[in-house]
Amino acid sequence: MTALAAGVAPAVGLRRATRAYRAMSRAAFRSLVAYQTSFLFGLLATTLAAVAMLYLWRSVLAAGTVRGFDWPAMRAYLLVAFVAGSLVSSYVDYRMAGRIQQGDVAMDLVRPVDYQKSRFAEALGFGVYELGTGLVVAAAAAALFGGVPAPARGGVVPFAVSAVLVMPLRFGIVYVSALVVFWTRNYVGVQSARIALVTLFSGGLVPLAFFPGWLQGLAAALPFAGMASTPALLYVGGLSGAAAWRAVAVQAAWTAGLWWLGRAMWRGASRQLTVHGG
Amino acid sequence: MARIEADDLRKVFRRPDKGPGLAGSLRHLVERRYTEKAAVDGISLRVDAGEAVAYVGPNGAGKSTTIKLLTGILVPTSGEVRVNGIVPHRHRIENARGVGVVFGQRTSLWWDLPVRDSFELLRDMHGLGAAEYRENLDRLVEMLQIGDLLDSTARRLSLGQRMRCDLAAALLHAPPIVYLDEPTIGLDIEVKDRLRTFLRQVVAGGTTLVLTTHDLGDIEDVCSRLVIIDQGRIVHDGGLRQVIETYARERVMHADLASRPVSLSGVAARLPGATVTEERDGLGVAVAFDPLAHTAAAVLSALQQEAEVVDLRIEEPAIEDVVRRMYAGQLDAAPGERTGT
Repeated sequence: MTALAAGVAPAVGLRRATRAYRAMSRAAFRSLVAYQTSFLFGLLATTLAAVAMLYLWRSVLAAGTVRGFDWPAMRAYLLVAFVAGSLVSSYVDYRMAGRIQQGDVAMDLVRPVDYQKSRFAEALGFGVYELGTGLVVAAAAAALFGGVPAPARGGVVPFAVSAVLVMPLRFGIVYVSALVVFWTRNYVGVQSARIALVTLFSGGLVPLAFFPGWLQGLAAALPFAGMASTPALLYVGGLSGAAAWRAVAVQAAWTAGLWWLGRAMWRGASRQLTVHGG
Repeated sequence: MARIEADDLRKVFRRPDKGPGLAGSLRHLVERRYTEKAAVDGISLRVDAGEAVAYVGPNGAGKSTTIKLLTGILVPTSGEVRVNGIVPHRHRIENARGVGVVFGQRTSLWWDLPVRDSFELLRDMHGLGAAEYRENLDRLVEMLQIGDLLDSTARRLSLGQRMRCDLAAALLHAPPIVYLDEPTIGLDIEVKDRLRTFLRQVVAGGTTLVLTTHDLGDIEDVCSRLVIIDQGRIVHDGGLRQVIETYARERVMHADLASRPVSLSGVAARLPGATVTEERDGLGVAVAFDPLAHTAAAVLSALQQEAEVVDLRIEEPAIEDVVRRMYAGQLDAAPGERTGT
């Protein structure tokens, strides 16, 4: 008979959990191979958008520095934001929302693993692929546009911390928005709303410094800044000293907050869960 | 020892009560009204180790909802449930270690991966050792004949192939309890037979099985106990034989006669309560009778006094008749005959 977890020592439980989630990450990575064509098309679209943006900003900044950004700094900012933005793209939420809508989530619930950690493990598996391709595209674009300056001196440590936080933070936002499907039964609207908010407030399109003052204050406090703006600004030295660590702290607080929000929403959702389609 | 204990289990769903058409949908946005429906309405059930239970009822009777309550997918509105001594919805992960589940209309395989990779993923999720995994997999591959499917991705499998792989996936960790929700739906006869043989072997190995199905062949071949549910309530719980005795007692004797004519009314007069009908243009007679009122010998002797009987056979009621009558609402007409737990 299967040993039930109640009688399993914590160390054994941890080892078993690690093994399960690592296997899920690997499986997610491998299943991307099946979607490689659609992934490459998506990559092409975002690459074209990034290149168009680089051309646009080059002409804007041809006359000189605007709001603290000269052309090389803007280049670096946009490319860091691009790599950050390529993480946790639509696989995690598409799958999740689809499985919730179709009722296949029932199958996820009869597996001996935590739902949220499983989705995070999968996001990590996809993330390896996303990060790899994102870096390649960014490096090619950097070569095309005349290189990217090295990270700002003194900002390397907060940048590194911020870069590590990007992935779990993005996961939190994507996960929470996909869980909304339990209540709305439909994901299209929720996803559009999220993408609009992220595009505007993450600073991936236009640096937040270009917003009016009151909106900058709001954007800095929202979770979206940590998805692109914070690491990109830290890289180019747009944030330094106490301001740098304050931005990283906001990012970390949202990462943790969204993780726990996701857990609370899951508890609520599973209590009122109706599984569709028999 | 009871593997599954459910006590007065209820699950109430709230459905939005929309009027017809666009006007109804718009009104629903302003004034929300809901209808409450008890999909499972006070079910009590005990299943012991090694039992094979068929859980039967018409569409919408609450079969799948019960399975989802027992597997911890759904949280009951009220009532108690314990599986392997665990409350499934409170300890979902621990519960999942001790049960295997197949929902016939869904797959637990990873759509984009080879079947073998799905199995290895499940091995890692359940923390199976290499030797244990090897042994279980070999046994399942042999019994279900899925050896040449292991390297295909799940999306390429036919329904029957997928179902066999799904059964293997559910049994890979050798769970003491297996729930199968319509496992033979949409399969052809040969595959069905193979699955039923497999399920008999699983039950013989001491596994507790709960099977919901519309296919009566599944029940007669695999299960010894029949639970009938209708409108969220158990209307019968007992041995398969006993159901037939209770709800389908009537037997039919078909007799071939040497010559006509035969006096049907003469036969009927000797067997009060039985129904006598002509068959084969008068060369045969069918007598439907209750074995508690008349023995088969008495029926035969009544026939022989009216005509020369050449050959005869007695038709026993099948579980089909019981369930067909139940679906037609005839069991409800005789509430006094209900047997509860």
